[in-house]
Amino acid sequence: MNTVTPPKERAAAPETAPASRRSLLKRPRQLWAVTGPLVIFVVMLAIVAGLTPTFLGSNGLTFIAAAAAPILLLALGQALVLNIGSIDLSNAAIAVLGAILLAFLLAPLAAAAPLLVLLIVTLFGAVNGLLVAYAQVPSFALTLGTLGIFQAAALVLSGSTTVYVSANGEAISALYQSGILGIPMTFWIGVVLAIVLWAGLRFTRLGLAMTAIGNNESGAIFSAVRNRRVKVVVFALSGFTAGLASIAIIAQSGSASATGAGGDLLLPAITAAILGGTSISGGVANPINVIFGALTVALVPIATTAIGVDAQAQNLVYGLVIIVVVALTMARTRGAVVK
Amino acid sequence: MVNATMQTENVDTTAIRQHELQTVRRSFIRGIAEPLGLIAALVALIIVFSLLNPRFATLENLRNVLDQASVPLIVGVGATLVILLGSIDLSVEGVMGASGMAWILMSANSRGGADLGVWAWIGAIAIGMALGFASGALFTRLKVPSFIVTLGMWYVGLGIATVMYGSGIVPMLTDEAVGGWASSATLGLPNSFWLAAVVVVLGVLTLRYTRLGRVTYAIGDNETIAKGNGVPVARVKTVVFVIAASLSGLAGIIATMKLGAGSATVGSGVLFVVIPAVVIGGTSLGGGKGGVLRTVLGVLLLTVLTNGLILAGVSPSWQSGVSGAILVAAIIVAAWSQRDRLRVAK
Repeated sequence: MNTVTPPKERAAAPETAPASRRSLLKRPRQLWAVTGPLVIFVVMLAIVAGLTPTFLGSNGLTFIAAAAAPILLLALGQALVLNIGSIDLSNAAIAVLGAILLAFLLAPLAAAAPLLVLLIVTLFGAVNGLLVAYAQVPSFALTLGTLGIFQAAALVLSGSTTVYVSANGEAISALYQSGILGIPMTFWIGVVLAIVLWAGLRFTRLGLAMTAIGNNESGAIFSAVRNRRVKVVVFALSGFTAGLASIAIIAQSGSASATGAGGDLLLPAITAAILGGTSISGGVANPINVIFGALTVALVPIATTAIGVDAQAQNLVYGLVIIVVVALTMARTRGAVVK
Repeated sequence: MVNATMQTENVDTTAIRQHELQTVRRSFIRGIAEPLGLIAALVALIIVFSLLNPRFATLENLRNVLDQASVPLIVGVGATLVILLGSIDLSVEGVMGASGMAWILMSANSRGGADLGVWAWIGAIAIGMALGFASGALFTRLKVPSFIVTLGMWYVGLGIATVMYGSGIVPMLTDEAVGGWASSATLGLPNSFWLAAVVVVLGVLTLRYTRLGRVTYAIGDNETIAKGNGVPVARVKTVVFVIAASLSGLAGIIATMKLGAGSATVGSGVLFVVIPAVVIGGTSLGGGKGGVLRTVLGVLLLTVLTNGLILAGVSPSWQSGVSGAILVAAIIVAAWSQRDRLRVAK
């Protein structure tokens, strides 16, 4: 966050760790920033479970986690991109294209197919990053353009029909059917990735450079952060997580189509990242909270059905919940310009 | 002090003045070079498509293109205002759905009900204004980014349209005079286009000559300085969101009129034409730079492209790809000369 530390606290900063831990509890705003996404998910889940007691018993959590898995994978990549102050509007389209490629390649290539697809989509992401970093164009407009290109590629490649996995699909679909604690493996992949990314952002030079760019890019350049290279890596990672999402899509449905599962995940994934406390203007991201953001996004439509909201009013409720929840969890800085 | 002024008066400033003149001239050329480039691209497209299919350069097809361009033009004026603030309005498709549905249910339709005539228009646009006011108020008061507020409002608008639709039969327009109004021609051009032209002219005049318009540029350029100069930033932003949403509402009515039936998703696909059109036109997503006429060029370019590709027999699958490639090329060309190691582009 861009908060300016008052001189007194700055002087006290290099003290011991317990001091900062105590201050976390003293400052409700920071405590909320860390625990807010979890609290909101648990409260919403409790409301649903209270209103429809059968919900948790009848595999409700499995259902939510399965729906959340592709959203989570996309949201993790998006959180990294938002963290450097950019946005990637093309990642859901990359996931769809990746799913179609995977559906085609699984039969001839077997185990090599997912690896090849991950490599290809990572390269797609890297191309986005190269253009953003070296042509210095706004990522919103650029990825809006590449979104169109990836969509067209998916349509042309699939011939506008659904592509089914003809062979070797068992190993992939096992990721969806098997699970730990009743939660499918596709979701656990997201959890592991979130922890890795969290550690990467906090403890590695590359991760700190990303956050530095998001906080103040000019400052980062003057501090010898290799901003262009870092941006390429971030967009490539966004492509990579989109590739993992395409594996999750194939695992879940065994088929892919340009207009089918995944294409409508762009906005839910951005919402999940922001619900997880990621700042849309950059500099703040906590991949672990994005897990709860994705769960909340997946829970809202399921919850509205479970509570018995009229099917026709579901969009209305969804829109309102998004606004309210983001208003609650958003990272705010006093006096900052909000666009 | 007096000595110093005396001295500067004697210094020869010709070189400085010449340099200033050059700078002014250069910025003027740069200012018209970009729209000229767009017009050249538009002319090139028209020539190529005319050669590919003789049916392209006919009066009938011109009417067709202008009719197709009318909805994105109306929405584009509002979107330009919002983007000039440095914000974004994603709610257009939802607002179009809500207003369009409200309009058809209040006009003569196959479900019966009262035909409110002009009041149907007023009521439908009022729903748009209410949604815009909600977006603006949530954005400025709760300080939630406009991206998220209007994303939520998109679903709220769709939801309102679906609730109004209920579970009855599809409401169809029964009055043919009303249903055909948008596409029927006056002075050789479709009515929907004349309506869009009026909106565009009002948009240009608002931005150029009214306090609201000038302040919109000022906020987009530097909000902190605008606020420091006593500009009522929150109020102006709210008004701009209300204007944008009422234009989306108007576009929703026109789109419903053309469709002849009520549908919550009547605005489907409009957002992904309008925002690229604004950006291709050269209005900066960061705010403060651009204008309505540039958006007009952007909309016309994309509409001619879609129309021409269909007439040239290109499969619809390729269309989003071609539009995307043009968007990428346009923004890279526009930004190429400003590249700098220390420049920050988000």
